[in-house]
Amino acid sequence: MESQFQHAMLPKTTHDEQARQNFVQSMKMHIFKNIAPRNKEIYEKVAKPRFEREHQRSPENRYEIRSAMEKEPHYHWWGAFQRLNQEMMWDSVMISVDRQLPDLIKRAKDQSNQLGTLTLDPDFQLPTHQTAVDIHCMPGGYHSEFTENDLAAGAIYDRGTYVYGIGWLGPHNDDMGLSIVHNYLQTEFPDFQPRKILDLGCAVGHSTLPYVDAYPNAEVYAIDVAAPMLRYAHARAEAMGKRVHFSQQNAEHTKFADGSFDLVVSHILLHEIPLPAIRRVMQECYRLLAPGGMMIHAEAPLYRHMDAYTAFIYDWQTANNNEPFWSAMRDSDLTALATEAGFSSDQVIEKFIPNGAWKEKLTTTHSSQEKESSQRGTWFVLAATK
Amino acid sequence: MPKTAKGKRPVYFDDPQVDKLLGITMALIGEVSVLHERLDTIERLLKNQGILLTEEIEAYKPDNEVTTEREQWRAEYLARVLRVLQEDQYT
Repeated sequence: MESQFQHAMLPKTTHDEQARQNFVQSMKMHIFKNIAPRNKEIYEKVAKPRFEREHQRSPENRYEIRSAMEKEPHYHWWGAFQRLNQEMMWDSVMISVDRQLPDLIKRAKDQSNQLGTLTLDPDFQLPTHQTAVDIHCMPGGYHSEFTENDLAAGAIYDRGTYVYGIGWLGPHNDDMGLSIVHNYLQTEFPDFQPRKILDLGCAVGHSTLPYVDAYPNAEVYAIDVAAPMLRYAHARAEAMGKRVHFSQQNAEHTKFADGSFDLVVSHILLHEIPLPAIRRVMQECYRLLAPGGMMIHAEAPLYRHMDAYTAFIYDWQTANNNEPFWSAMRDSDLTALATEAGFSSDQVIEKFIPNGAWKEKLTTTHSSQEKESSQRGTWFVLAATK
Repeated sequence: MPKTAKGKRPVYFDDPQVDKLLGITMALIGEVSVLHERLDTIERLLKNQGILLTEEIEAYKPDNEVTTEREQWRAEYLARVLRVLQEDQYT
């Protein structure tokens, strides 16, 4: 198995901490392979026939499937294991970050401002939609600070993302940005050379850095609402030798001037914010783009892309993994939102692009068949040109 | 750092006490795995170096300092395994 790239800011693990993270990953695989599939079996053999006897028709949507499945003990065992796995995942990472936090803060300070910049706003008001619950059940959320120059949330997120996904986003956790660059921008717009790029809701900059590599002449900016994420993002980018200008700003209303950017991107940002905020982000993208500029939002699929049973499984995240806006976003018409924000409807594209670009980068000599099989699936993108 | 995420934690079983018990059990299963991995590392290193330690392990008597360290370790270990009982939302 691949392991996470050991940049200078990545928290280190003791033997036991590593073993604890290994266990969380094994538990996750066990749930995925041996516990989750029985849900579908039980639905087809027990829950669905019972619903049909009671209603003289099949369940028609994710709500009806859920009400049928809530009578099944196995569904609750699966849920309990999923939730515990998520909690144990954060715990296994937080223990290790907590132990070395003073050292991480010092390391971040030592290498700041050598290439890019970090601009925090001491008067910044966190949007209330980000503080109602701790998203993804990460204790403290992405924004909380408990010590001076705190970057714990960023360090926890960097390692946690890798442990959570068992490395499926690649050694740099950057598959979303990398696949947008390699499997969309460079394939479909080979002549597009943005001079200024903005990444919205960048967290620790996982998906920001591929744009630095792809467009070495461009100025790359990245914003987020969470100061501890940005401190870590800046230190991580510096440690990896990438020039990015990070600043603490709300993507709904940034401080950049009209027409500042040729490319504005976001990666799984939209499902973390409520619909009115998505609307404002679209309007802001339109305002920030220069004529001919492009916005790209990468996401997982919407509900209309999947059958009702898959939607029911997706929807589990809403209440069980603190994803309050997950379902509203997946039910929405993103093209309509983009059009309302000012983009002309013939310039808005919804598309699935192959994911897994990081695997192609690792192996340079392989047949096209291997290339195909190395891709696990797709990212959904909403793109629009001004 | 906080140990619990803000937001209502769902109850998965008819009796919420079962949720707690499963949390304890899974943490314990995890710690057994962590311990096994560490022992496995040690045994492989010892084997690689041609050292046979079974008798030495049986004969080992911890001194006061080691005893104190082990007590501290067990206190942290219990806090980890019994984590769910310390969280406000469960009580």
